[in-house]
Amino acid sequence: MKSIHLDNTLPNVFLQRTDIESDIWRQQVTLEKGKTYLVEASSGTGKSSLCSFIIGYRKDFDGKILFDGRDSRKLTTSDWTKLRQSHISLLFQELRLFPELTAMENIEIKNSLTGFKTKGEIEQWFEALGIADKMQSPVRLLSFGQQQRVAMIRALVQPFDFLLADEPISHLDDENSKVMADIMTEEARRQGAGIVITSIGKHMDLPYDKILKL
Amino acid sequence: MRLVWKLLRRHISLPQFAGFFFANLLGMLIVLLALQFYSDVKPIFSEEDGFIRPDYLILSKRISTLNTIGLGSVNTFSEREMKNLESQPFAKRVGAFTASHYKVSCSMGIDGVAQIGTEMFFESVPDAFVDVDLQKWHFSEGDDYVPIILPKTYLAIYNFGFAQSQNLPKLSEGVVGMVEMTISMRGNGMNEYIKGRVIGFSTRLNTILAPESFIRWSNQRYAPDAEEEPSRIILEVSNPADDAIVNYINEKGYEMEDDKLDAGRMTFFLRIVSGIVMLVGLLISALSFYILMLSIYLLVEKNTEKMRTLLLIGYSPARVALPYQLLTIGMNAAVLLLAIGGLVLVRSLYMKQLWSVFPKMYDGSILPAIVLGIVLFAVVSLVNVLIIRHRINQIWKN
Repeated sequence: MKSIHLDNTLPNVFLQRTDIESDIWRQQVTLEKGKTYLVEASSGTGKSSLCSFIIGYRKDFDGKILFDGRDSRKLTTSDWTKLRQSHISLLFQELRLFPELTAMENIEIKNSLTGFKTKGEIEQWFEALGIADKMQSPVRLLSFGQQQRVAMIRALVQPFDFLLADEPISHLDDENSKVMADIMTEEARRQGAGIVITSIGKHMDLPYDKILKL
Repeated sequence: MRLVWKLLRRHISLPQFAGFFFANLLGMLIVLLALQFYSDVKPIFSEEDGFIRPDYLILSKRISTLNTIGLGSVNTFSEREMKNLESQPFAKRVGAFTASHYKVSCSMGIDGVAQIGTEMFFESVPDAFVDVDLQKWHFSEGDDYVPIILPKTYLAIYNFGFAQSQNLPKLSEGVVGMVEMTISMRGNGMNEYIKGRVIGFSTRLNTILAPESFIRWSNQRYAPDAEEEPSRIILEVSNPADDAIVNYINEKGYEMEDDKLDAGRMTFFLRIVSGIVMLVGLLISALSFYILMLSIYLLVEKNTEKMRTLLLIGYSPARVALPYQLLTIGMNAAVLLLAIGGLVLVRSLYMKQLWSVFPKMYDGSILPAIVLGIVLFAVVSLVNVLIIRHRINQIWKN
C-alpha cells in the first residue's frame, strides 16, 4: 500500500459542528508510505477515532478513506484481515494487551500470524526497552509504561506499510521514549513504511515530514 | 492456536458444559436405543406363524355369564351351523377343533424324575389345516410319542413369569423341543402313558394341538361316549380382509381369534412407543443443544473484548471462531462415541434376554443406529459451527 487518502473525512459526531478548523477533518489529506507524520490534537478532537476509522474498527464517519485509491467501505472481511496482518499496524492508545497472557505470549500471539520476527529479534527489543526481566510475567502485573513498551513490540512484529501509533509515549520517561522512537523508526525504515504518530502534548522527537493539527 | 485457546478458554463454565454433555449424551443414547430396540424387536412381532396360514380364521362362540351357570344357548357348533358356514361364498374349507374328552396330565422331568406336572387337555384340527411337515405331524396307534404344538404365549408365561420368579432357567423353543414330556391319559377305567414332544410353537393357536388321528384314537379309547360337537372351528377363507366375513360373524354372534391382528397391533404400538421414546430423546438433545448454545453465547459475551482485539490485530473471524467450534465438535464427537458405546452395551444386555427366549431371532445390525448418530452429530455440529461463526461475525461488525 502506497498511500492513505482522507477525502473530506469527518466523524459523524462532528457533523453538526460548523466551527471545525483542522488539517485533517473535512480536508484532502494524503499520507504517503515512507514518510513520518505527527498528528497533534487536544483531547476530544477525534484522534483515536481517526485511528479506528483507518484500521476499520469504526465506520461512523462522513466522507471517504481511500487505500491506494480504494474506498475503505468496499473492503471485504478478508481484505481487512489482510490489511491488519501486513499493511497497517496500530499501536492502540488503550494498548489492548491480553492481561492473562505473559508479555512474551502477547507478542507471540501476534507474531504467529505471519512469523515475521524471530524469537531472538523480539528478545532484543525487550532487552533494548529495559523489560527483558518481564518477558515471562503476566502482562497485567506490569506498569502502564511497561505495558506500553510491550504493545509497541507487538505493533512491530508484522509487515506493515504504515505504522499508526496512538499516543505511544504517554507514560514513558524521556530516555525510554528515545529508545522507543529509535526502534520504531529503524523498523519503519527497514520496511520502507510510513509512520503516523498522534499526540496530545508530549511527543516523540522525530524528524517529522509533516505535522498536522487535528 | 495454543495461545488463542489459552486466551479464549477463560470463562468456560465447567458445570454448564458438563450439563450439556450429559444431557446430550442421554438424549443421543435414548434416540439411538429407541431406533435400535425397534429394529431388533420388530422381527419378533412381525414373525409369521409357521403352523397356521394367515387366511385361516379361528371362530368360537361368545361365552356369556348365562353359559357359565348352565343357562343360555350352547357354545358348541352344531352340524347345521358348520354346513351354513361352509356354504358362505367367502369360505373355502371348514374344520372343527376336536377336544380331548378324558383327563390328561403331563409331567416334564430329567432322568425320569418328574419336575413339573400339570393337568391339561388336547385339541386337534384337521391335519390339512396344520402347515407342518406331515412326517412330523403324524400319529398312529402304537406310536411311542405324540407330536404337540404349544401356543407361544405358554412359553412366554413360563419364561417371563414363572422362571423369572422361581429362579428357573429360561427355555428357548429349541430347548423345549428337546424336553420329553410324559403324558398320562385317564378315562374309561384306564390310566396309560405316552411320550409327548413339542415340535413347535404357534402364535395364532390358543390351544395345545395334537394330530387329529391321535385325538380321534384317544377319545375313542378313553371317552367313547362323549359328545363331539366342537366349540371352536377353523375356517379357510379366500380373502381374510373381506367385509362379509366380519358381518357374518357378528350376525351369528361368533368370535374371531385374531392373533394375527394382535401381532400387527403390537408392531403398531411398538412403532408408536419407539417413536415417542425417540421424540423424548430428540427433545432432550434439543434442550441440551440449547444449553450449549446459551453457554457459548455467554462465553463469547464474556470474551468479546479479547475476540475484538484478536480481530483488530489481524486474526480472521474464522480463526477466532475456530477454538469454540473445535470445542463443540469435540464434545459432540465424544457424546457420539459414548452414546454408541452405551448402545452396544445396553443392546448386548437386552439381546441376551431376547436370545434366551427367541433363539432363532435374527441378529440385526447396529449400523442404522450408528448412521443416525452420525447424522445427528453432523447436523448438531454444523449448526453449532454456523452459530458460533455468526456470533463472531457480529463482533466483527461491532
